[in-house]
Amino acid sequence: MLVWSKSGRIATWAVAVPLFLLIYGLPIGVIVLASVSGQWNDILPTKLTLAHYSDAFRADSFDALKGSLVTGVVASGAALVCGTWAALALRKMKPVPRRILDLFFFIPSAVPSVSIGLGLLVAFSQPPLLLNGTKMIVLIAHFVLISAFTYGNVTAGLSRLPIDCEQVAESLGARPFYRLRRVTLPLLAPYLIAAFSLSFALSMGELGATVMVYPPGWVTLPVRIFSLSDRGAIFDAATMATILGAATLLVLIGLSRISTKAMVR
Amino acid sequence: MAEAAIAGPAPRTAPQSLWVVPPLLVLAVLFLYPLALIARASLGEEAPSFAAFEQVLKSGQFIDGLYHTVVIAISATAGCLVLGFILALVIAFVPFPGARLASRLIDTVIALPTFLVTLAFTFIYGSAGIINETLMHVLGLELPPINFLYSQWGVILAEVTVYTPFVMRPLLATFSLIDQAQIEVASSLGARPARIVRRIILPAALPALVAGGSLCLLLTVNEFGIVLFIGAKDVITLPLLIYSKAIQEFDYTTACVIAVVNVVLSLGLYTLYRIVVAHFGGKSAGVV
Amino acid sequence: MAEATVMERMPASSKPVVASASAAAASGSRIGFEDVSVTYGSLTVLHSFTLTVNPGEIVALIGPSGSGKTTALRAVAGFVKPSSGRILIGDRDVTYLAPYDRKIGMVVQNYALFPHMRVDENVAFGLRAHGAAEDVIRKRVPECLAMVGMAAYGKRYPRELSGGQQQRVAIARALAPRPQVLLLDEPLSALDAQIRRSMLDELAKLHRDLPNLTVLYVTHDQTEALTLANHIGIMRDGRLQAFGGAQSLFRHPPNRFAAEFLGRANLLPASDLQPGEGDRAHVRFGGTVLSARNHHRLPKGSDCLVCVRPHDFRFTRTATEPNSIGGTVVSVQWQGDVHNITFEAGGQTVRMTSTPMASPPAIGEAIAVHFDPDEVTLVPEDARHG
Ligand SMILES: Nc1ncnc2c1ncn2[C@@H]1O[C@H](COP(=O)(O)OP(=O)(O)O)[C@@H](O)[C@H]1O
Ligand SMILES: [Mg+2]
Repeated sequence: MLVWSKSGRIATWAVAVPLFLLIYGLPIGVIVLASVSGQWNDILPTKLTLAHYSDAFRADSFDALKGSLVTGVVASGAALVCGTWAALALRKMKPVPRRILDLFFFIPSAVPSVSIGLGLLVAFSQPPLLLNGTKMIVLIAHFVLISAFTYGNVTAGLSRLPIDCEQVAESLGARPFYRLRRVTLPLLAPYLIAAFSLSFALSMGELGATVMVYPPGWVTLPVRIFSLSDRGAIFDAATMATILGAATLLVLIGLSRISTKAMVR
Repeated sequence: MAEAAIAGPAPRTAPQSLWVVPPLLVLAVLFLYPLALIARASLGEEAPSFAAFEQVLKSGQFIDGLYHTVVIAISATAGCLVLGFILALVIAFVPFPGARLASRLIDTVIALPTFLVTLAFTFIYGSAGIINETLMHVLGLELPPINFLYSQWGVILAEVTVYTPFVMRPLLATFSLIDQAQIEVASSLGARPARIVRRIILPAALPALVAGGSLCLLLTVNEFGIVLFIGAKDVITLPLLIYSKAIQEFDYTTACVIAVVNVVLSLGLYTLYRIVVAHFGGKSAGVV
Repeated sequence: MAEATVMERMPASSKPVVASASAAAASGSRIGFEDVSVTYGSLTVLHSFTLTVNPGEIVALIGPSGSGKTTALRAVAGFVKPSSGRILIGDRDVTYLAPYDRKIGMVVQNYALFPHMRVDENVAFGLRAHGAAEDVIRKRVPECLAMVGMAAYGKRYPRELSGGQQQRVAIARALAPRPQVLLLDEPLSALDAQIRRSMLDELAKLHRDLPNLTVLYVTHDQTEALTLANHIGIMRDGRLQAFGGAQSLFRHPPNRFAAEFLGRANLLPASDLQPGEGDRAHVRFGGTVLSARNHHRLPKGSDCLVCVRPHDFRFTRTATEPNSIGGTVVSVQWQGDVHNITFEAGGQTVRMTSTPMASPPAIGEAIAVHFDPDEVTLVPEDARHG
């Protein structure tokens, strides 16, 4: 404890807590409030309504919600497979090539998302791979952007795995795949879930690359929110933002429950 | 192990390392190949030349974009470091009811998309936002008195809000390792809080500050959503410039040139970040 | 052991096994190290290690921490590849065999139970890995759990068990696929003293029940080694310093390191060895002549050490007996069932223990002690091994 006197502590809190609330509580509160506002011409909304929510589950907005969820799940799933595979394969390698490849798998996280989008646009608008204007290119963009995070999380998990368990399994006659399926992956499960959650959250909020590559029929929530707010429908934008935040958090909380369960076992 | 000069099959290491090929191939096709094409496209459409490069790098738009990118990134990072250090200090060392909740909230903010904050700021600081409405009511003004949101300052404020948790997280991890007894002894010896912070906490927090700061720098240089949502005409950063050149003007060559610069800049910052983390040790910097 | 072992049902990956396996099931398999060296980078942690564990025998490897015991054991398991030499299990050269083809059981210090499986699934793991039939598993798992007294705990998770119980499960898991050899790496060192003692008794009993099981037991605890092992190998700096039957190694340590590591010993520097009748010899210590067994056939006239265990001294107040040493008492400690006395003789600090004495000597008092020449051995002074 740094501040001993009671009055000093209270003074510190009196500054810190409102500051904290102002910075992090107010924005969230305002968006939620805006999402139910019918009219906001004064200091506070003058009319509350749920109309924005009923609009959100119709037509374009609902498509965007679906698009985001599907993109998030598919891209995170693919990134999980690829990242886990890479992390497991690297574990068996000699230190020097391993360090180099490790860096390589991390690099996508350092490249700006807009540039990744531009690259995909340029690369897949010409033969041999013509993907421009398809859903696939959105999935690929999300996959590339989150793959480094998945890889990083799985690698961190692997380094914390008790190595004895795997060796004992081998001494008991478990061949590599059997050991992977029965011991390594189950032990890794909490980290896999954490990796998936992070990827999913990142994918749900991705804007930079998506805005570069999305085809007319496959809009994600962030893109939809931008176009709503760009044309002045800020209450609808706030509603979609609330839904986006809530959906992300719900998935995160749900997965962290499962992961805690897996961890305890 | 290589000098095993005896009969018997050699240890089976060669096929083992081949397992890394599939993910490597995936990344090569989906990530490296596009990047290579960007580099190629930046050199013009026919014979490679630096003509386009030169032209773009000299253009006012690019220089303006680079300037804004750098100024915004540095100011936002500095803001994140100061705010993050203060908030982490309070959460860790002046525990208040709900401090746990606060650190959960921080993790949540990290998971949420960055542009949400900008949207919220529209309602708070915008020309028809809460603060302006209040001031106009109270002071009886005709026009909104606060106009900083649609400027560089709006972007910086939003980025500070969004990226401060990236500084706080490693700091909180580091603070949890600082021996509380050390601080108690120091304060029982009469050291004032400011002195304890300067002599004990700050040196211990340095690795986390440097690591968190360089991560912030990387993220703010590449930030796109916030700048796009604020939409101020005179605040154009490199990522936004790439977007407007490619999507609104269909000028791919210029976009690619700027993208090359942007990628090189972020890879440089990323290298810095990795060096810093490796130097201080990933553990002590509390970085995942 | 009438029923076919699970391992015999396996498509054998190396041909000669099938023939020798049934013989092995009846009489056990040996473990052989032939000139095995292991290096990590430029560091050699096992130097030309040669040792055989005979079928059905327990050999304990003891030595200080870092002496290479675990490395030797993991070389048998296949997790460490020798840079030279051969490793044999039974008649098979397993040097280049993958761990899962070696048919071993392994138990490590921290148990390494699979935390996500219940106890019975842990025990069934090896059987399933070998593709055993479900009815074999249903029969064998309770049998193995019963063997270690854990029959009632099959449905628990490892985290719901105490350390000792976890170790029992780890042993049952290792034994379930009927391995030819069992490798134990400090299996008791994570347990507290009391449980360690009872587990030691149970391990001894387990081996009486499974007389064909060949066991390599790594420990740094001499009591465990002396209690369990038929033979003991003493390691230091990656080399085998001494190897022999547990009793004979204790009574006739071949060198200073072995004498000091296995039990406590007074090593009195003596000179001018003169052979006597039988394997007796006489040496000069300080001003007196002492007799002891020259088990290691040290040459006439050589310098050597007289290895006297603290409890081999008999206490007298005056030097009337033969083989007596006179000294001055430095300290006297009463420990309930024993008296520990330290005295100075011939410039050496000597320890003895005796049954409790009604009137122990006082500090500074001159005393004499003697020993039975048949209980005491002459040990060469090590100059060769640094
Ligand atoms: N993976 C490894 N890499 C490098 N050195 C090792 C490794 N494993 C063990 N060693 C070294 O080998 C020596 C012997 O270790 P070990 O066999 O574990 O000893 P013990 O089990 O007798 O304590 C030690 O000096 C140790 O530092
Ligand atoms: Mg060891």
